[in-house]
Amino acid sequence: MSAPSNVDIARRMQEYEAPKKKRNKINWVPYLMIAPSVFIVVAFLFYPIGTVFYYSLFNYDLSAPYYNGFVGLENFKEVFTADKMFLPSLLVTLKWVVTQVGLQLVFGMAVALLLNQAFKFRGIFRAAAFIPWAISGVLASVMWSLMYNEHMGVINDLLMRIGLISESKAWLSDVSTAFGSVVIAELWRGIPFFAITLLAALQSIPNEMYEAAKVDGAGRRKTFFYITLPQLKNTIILTVLLRTIWEFNNVDLIFNLTGGGPAESTTTLTMYIASLAVHGSNFGYGSALTVISFCILLIFAVVFLKVTKYEKEEAER
Amino acid sequence: MNRTMDRWLTLRLPLAVMLVFTMFPFYWTINTAFKMDGDIVKRPVEYIPTAPTIDNFVIAWSNVGFATYFKNSLIVGVSTVALVLVLSILSGYALSRYKFKGKRAFMVMLLCTQFIPRAMLIIPLFLIFKNLGLISSPLSLIITYAAVEIPFTTVLMSGFISNVPKELEEAAMIDGCNRIQSLRHVVFPLLVPGIVATGVFTLIYTWNEFLLALMLTNQQSKFTLPVGLSYMMGEFNVNYGALAAGSVIALVPAVLLFIYAQKHLVSGLGGAVKG
Amino acid sequence: MGKKLFHGMTTSFVLASMLMAGCGNDDTEVQGSGSGEKANPDEPVTITFWDENAGPQRTPIWEELISRFEAENENIDVEYVGLPKDSAKQKLDAAIAADDMPDMGSVQTSWLPEFAAREALLPLDEQYDEWEDKDKINKSAIDFNKEIVMDEKLYGIPYTQNIDILWYRPDWFQEKNVKAPETWDEFFAAAESMTDKANNRYGYTIRGGAGGSFQLQRMMYAYSGIEEYVDDKGKSTINDPKHVEFLEKYFDMYQKFTPKSDITNGYKEMIAGFDTGAVAMVQHNVGSYGEHSEALEPGQFKALALPKSEDGKYVAEGGNTIGISIFKSTEHPEAAWEFTKFLNSAESQSYWNEQVGQIPTNADVLEEEWVKNAEHIKVAFEVYEDPNLVLYKPPFYLPDYRSILDNTVDSGVQNVMSGKITVKEFLDEWAGAIEESQKQYDEHFKK
Repeated sequence: MSAPSNVDIARRMQEYEAPKKKRNKINWVPYLMIAPSVFIVVAFLFYPIGTVFYYSLFNYDLSAPYYNGFVGLENFKEVFTADKMFLPSLLVTLKWVVTQVGLQLVFGMAVALLLNQAFKFRGIFRAAAFIPWAISGVLASVMWSLMYNEHMGVINDLLMRIGLISESKAWLSDVSTAFGSVVIAELWRGIPFFAITLLAALQSIPNEMYEAAKVDGAGRRKTFFYITLPQLKNTIILTVLLRTIWEFNNVDLIFNLTGGGPAESTTTLTMYIASLAVHGSNFGYGSALTVISFCILLIFAVVFLKVTKYEKEEAER
Repeated sequence: MNRTMDRWLTLRLPLAVMLVFTMFPFYWTINTAFKMDGDIVKRPVEYIPTAPTIDNFVIAWSNVGFATYFKNSLIVGVSTVALVLVLSILSGYALSRYKFKGKRAFMVMLLCTQFIPRAMLIIPLFLIFKNLGLISSPLSLIITYAAVEIPFTTVLMSGFISNVPKELEEAAMIDGCNRIQSLRHVVFPLLVPGIVATGVFTLIYTWNEFLLALMLTNQQSKFTLPVGLSYMMGEFNVNYGALAAGSVIALVPAVLLFIYAQKHLVSGLGGAVKG
Repeated sequence: MGKKLFHGMTTSFVLASMLMAGCGNDDTEVQGSGSGEKANPDEPVTITFWDENAGPQRTPIWEELISRFEAENENIDVEYVGLPKDSAKQKLDAAIAADDMPDMGSVQTSWLPEFAAREALLPLDEQYDEWEDKDKINKSAIDFNKEIVMDEKLYGIPYTQNIDILWYRPDWFQEKNVKAPETWDEFFAAAESMTDKANNRYGYTIRGGAGGSFQLQRMMYAYSGIEEYVDDKGKSTINDPKHVEFLEKYFDMYQKFTPKSDITNGYKEMIAGFDTGAVAMVQHNVGSYGEHSEALEPGQFKALALPKSEDGKYVAEGGNTIGISIFKSTEHPEAAWEFTKFLNSAESQSYWNEQVGQIPTNADVLEEEWVKNAEHIKVAFEVYEDPNLVLYKPPFYLPDYRSILDNTVDSGVQNVMSGKITVKEFLDEWAGAIEESQKQYDEHFKK
């Protein structure tokens, strides 16, 4: 069955919607529809988030209740003046997010283009490519730490057989390889998400556009840059934004593979916050750090959407 | 000749590389799961277990009570999926089909929920559910997971709904259906791939979540799979074989689900245009 | 957009506060009083028991003990909840903060001061004094538990003791004709002579990752023979010149005689090094016996006490015990005490400790065959019964003692190992953090 193309639908919808506006009466239907979601998100996410903001102004130490009390902006002052972990961990975060998102985008695009071609058993290959996405951080770190292990790891064994290295390496423990090793493990789990969304977007590009390009004699590269990429723009922007936020806050792999080491070379800001939370130290201080990271992400999201002009197009629709 | 070369370079070779990269960790985990304790740490490394054993699976399944965790995970997972689907279809529909005041604020609100590391939310959430008397109840997990997932699935769902031609719905309404009926008979069937995609997304999250599952449950018989897995990683208790076997057990449903759903995932996320 | 966002957030927040306030009122009556159990003793009760280190090895032991207890006490049901070790403290923290505690649990001694200060535990002095078997429990361990809490009450009855030792490979030592080290010089020498990188063998392995600091300080005090962690004036002995001297030698072994991965070694990786036959010596405690015996043949591993200090005494860390505590909110303190007594009876302690491979605290058990035959337990006893043994007391009472070790010290170890800072700088920072915390503590409690 040949379905109408997206572009057609979008155009027809716009024509259709335009004259129908009635502005004087409030329509309660949409509010009722979002009400349950709003309720659940507000009660069980916003309320806890609010508590975090609230406690950032307090000393709130579970293990020393006798110290607890309002301290105003003391916690924030300490972060910016006395905390030796804050800036370095922020830098590691930056490095982590940029490499992760950048590489995931590039490889995700490659996989999507690859799986968009027609070939035998495509379904099986697609399933295989996407499966790592379904694996939890805990499981993934178990799998990778087994493989990276200095004494019994298969990676060392393989590389030694090929002759790339001459003695066992401690992948996760060497300042020069730890970061890269965690990046690879996380890529394994992160590429599929990009691949899925990009592949989905690729499939919604109308075939006529490619046919037209072919008629015009455009080569593979030209087609990619002048048709595929522009068509994927919105998907890319959204996915990059979401992924950036997730990778910023993603700790389970780092936590389980290196614990932030060696010598803090893999301690991201969120990793730092999580280790404070896990070790039960001052919840108020952890909250202050969280508030700061919240603001960083908020500013990033706003700027990112402005710079990429995503909002504008969305608003015009 | 040239064409075959081309086919190798742009398809077969990259496919092979991709397959090795994604599959190798699975192969290795399975390989480890079938080895005796001593063989796991033996050198040279065994690529195929010389003395395969299923002991590890027996240990993981029976000794630690995996069967119960498995069941609990299933209950929590399926209920969360149901709740998330209903709520995100409703809110997604509102986002995609209506213009209303506060829509932007709603979207921003959804985005903001993603900015906080989950570890920081544990204690406040624990207090909430304690006050509600829901600690150890699967409900506490179902609600929390739904809250965590809804921001994303709502946006996802509104995308799917936008892709269902509005005129189809209008036509149905002209034919005498009311809005609910047209939703049910016209929109819903076209949404199936999107619903599957959203459901899979949610299920994967609930299936894998550890921290909340541990913290919001105070009864051994109510723990979910990730908690069961974590037992095998503590001090004095490292058992790589059983850990790998437990991992394999936990993997199986996710993998099966993926194989089944991969087609819907792509077409769903792409918006019901092509198969 | 900022404005709208702000509006959205405030509205939702106000809404949520209202909602939560509404829900928060109904719990006042549910809280247990802890004292008022006047119910008839035959009435069936259920008590919950939290195990702080659950896993395939230990959980079945507890389940067996529980079923034995339930057979003896038909009216008491014990509900076991196993916590993974890495998250147990976090879970208890939340439970105490929310006043939603179990009836009782297995609690590490180092947690007692904090839990007592948070008023989470029930003092057990009265019950203990009336217990006919009380004299069988190791008195010094009981006294220690009282000494470390502020009000000097008894909040936990230790059912097992542990001690840090060295595990080594007697077969390799024999091969190379090296004798098991008895002094610190011999220890360092052995690490060197057992290293054979061509054959992938290292003399020693350092726990540089999570949890390493706790093991490290036990080595330091064993070497220096210093008996106090913090002196009367609030000065810490952590950066004593003896400790600097020791750590300089100790960390100098890294990569020379130890695997490179040591810097991020947690427990798992460290033990894997020994159990895969990559290292000749590892420092841990008698509790890892079970794991070595699964991976290695009997002649391939052996326990060895940490060497004595220069002036000839054993210095070990006090409080290396785990006990049974009852939480204050329990509604069944009597049933909980019954179970506490049961777990500390000779029979239960014997079963638990034999299975796990640790040292019982009940004097009757110490006479049993298995204790006398288990070589690693004998080693531990030599230390515990040595007349020159001194137990130093880490400042468990400092609220941030654990987080200083977990955060400052663990990452400091890695900084030293990667050459970013010197041993002296590292120890000064560590001592500084302890002293700062001590000062705060003193200011608060010395009125």
